[in-house]
Amino acid sequence: MSRVITITSGKGGVGKTTTTANLGTALAMRGAKVAVMDADIGLRNLDVVMGLENRIVYDLVDVIEGRCRLRQALIKDKRFPDLSLLPAAQTRDKDAVNADDMIELTNQMRVEFDYVLVDSPAGIESGFRNAIAGADEVLIVTTPEVSAVRDADRIIGLVEAFEKGHPRLVLNRIRPRMVNRGEMMSIDDVLQILAIDLIGVVPDDEAIITSTNQGEVAVLDPRSRAGAAFKDLSRRVMGEKVAFPPLDDGQHGLLDRLLGMFGGRR
Amino acid sequence: MIYCNSCAKLYIAMTHLIAIKGSKDGLRLQLDEAAVWRDVVAALRGQFEQGAQFFNGAKVLVDVGERALGQDDLTELIELMQLHNIAAESIASTSRESRNAARAAGVVARPLARPAAADDRSDDLFLRRTLRSGQILRHSGSLTLIGDINAGGEVIVGGSVVVWGRLRGTVHAGAFGDRAATVGALELAPTQLRIADLIARQLEGGGRQPEVAAVDRDQIRVIAWETLRKERGQS
Repeated sequence: MSRVITITSGKGGVGKTTTTANLGTALAMRGAKVAVMDADIGLRNLDVVMGLENRIVYDLVDVIEGRCRLRQALIKDKRFPDLSLLPAAQTRDKDAVNADDMIELTNQMRVEFDYVLVDSPAGIESGFRNAIAGADEVLIVTTPEVSAVRDADRIIGLVEAFEKGHPRLVLNRIRPRMVNRGEMMSIDDVLQILAIDLIGVVPDDEAIITSTNQGEVAVLDPRSRAGAAFKDLSRRVMGEKVAFPPLDDGQHGLLDRLLGMFGGRR
Repeated sequence: MIYCNSCAKLYIAMTHLIAIKGSKDGLRLQLDEAAVWRDVVAALRGQFEQGAQFFNGAKVLVDVGERALGQDDLTELIELMQLHNIAAESIASTSRESRNAARAAGVVARPLARPAAADDRSDDLFLRRTLRSGQILRHSGSLTLIGDINAGGEVIVGGSVVVWGRLRGTVHAGAFGDRAATVGALELAPTQLRIADLIARQLEGGGRQPEVAAVDRDQIRVIAWETLRKERGQS
């Protein structure tokens, strides 16, 4: 059973594309057949982050409008033959596709891949709606900032309204030292507001800026802390139970867990 | 249905002409089917003016019962609603004439399906959920919520609100003008809190213990639940 997973956030710049690239690569490293799709039409990025920009011939809109077959538009990653990218169009905008197109496209991709990861554009308009149209599951990416968490909350409400099940949370760019000093929201602070299940915690890592600029994903660097966190995320996506490594000392006490059980989700 | 201290008399006078039912599916405006139409419209005008903040931006199902509404009467009704920024989600009636008039005016017409025995039920709503940023809950009676109202979420009710959780969004209780309405929460830290015609932005109290907001001498005040309980015990 293949799974279509959309990665979204509401707010821009919190790490959707980085998460998509790293999760896709990590899943492929574990032997899954993976496609990553850039649904941010007109502002494509995923190809740059994955270092595949110079190999684009056809794009997502070409497939939808019938100028090429799906297979012609898919770009195989150099390092992992089981990892493919479907790039977004750069010269069109989000109105070039609609939700039905996206459902048809993702269904076509299910035939060949175990995982189809859809990188959503920021915002709550049609681009976001198209990106989740074909999804079985949704991952919400946020950083521990008030504005990002507020937008994540809004997006979760919309995802629930579209009946995509309970989205799960990737908390990106957390700085344990700032959390310990009380200068940054902790994991618990964020979870208390959003009241959804946590599936990944990624520490802030400056190395990711250089790797992103060079088109090298963090999971390929064995020393990268962010890369290790994305590998853990991929194992959880595959259904393994992987403990969250301790970031700080004041983690999930018994009382917090009891409160978590009581604080109801729908 | 809506208990109103300040205008009880007025309210009772129009009660038999208009009823507002709320549920999580939306608002239902029930209009008397036998009374003179002019009186019903007058009562509606009064109700809309009095509950302007409650109705602003609302979408309602208008239930005209067996009344056969002509084109002109229906247009008058819709224009009155538009004046108060109220959208007609649909017109429900057993009368074919009313439904035809609705369709001609571009409004969805429904054959009438009155919820069974809803009239005698309490108009209070009980929910277990998280109200998230961008979500609005509008209800004519009181609300009990198990869960949180997050910042950016909004609740507008005719009665009182109890939140068994954190209240961080915007709440308007007593939205028809009932200053006796109260707002209680385990953690009362709203972005904005309104009771009837009063607004409180910066609330005293830290939200660290269960608190209740109520109107006291033309101001919204916050009292710790512990204090309130003791006071009640003494009196």
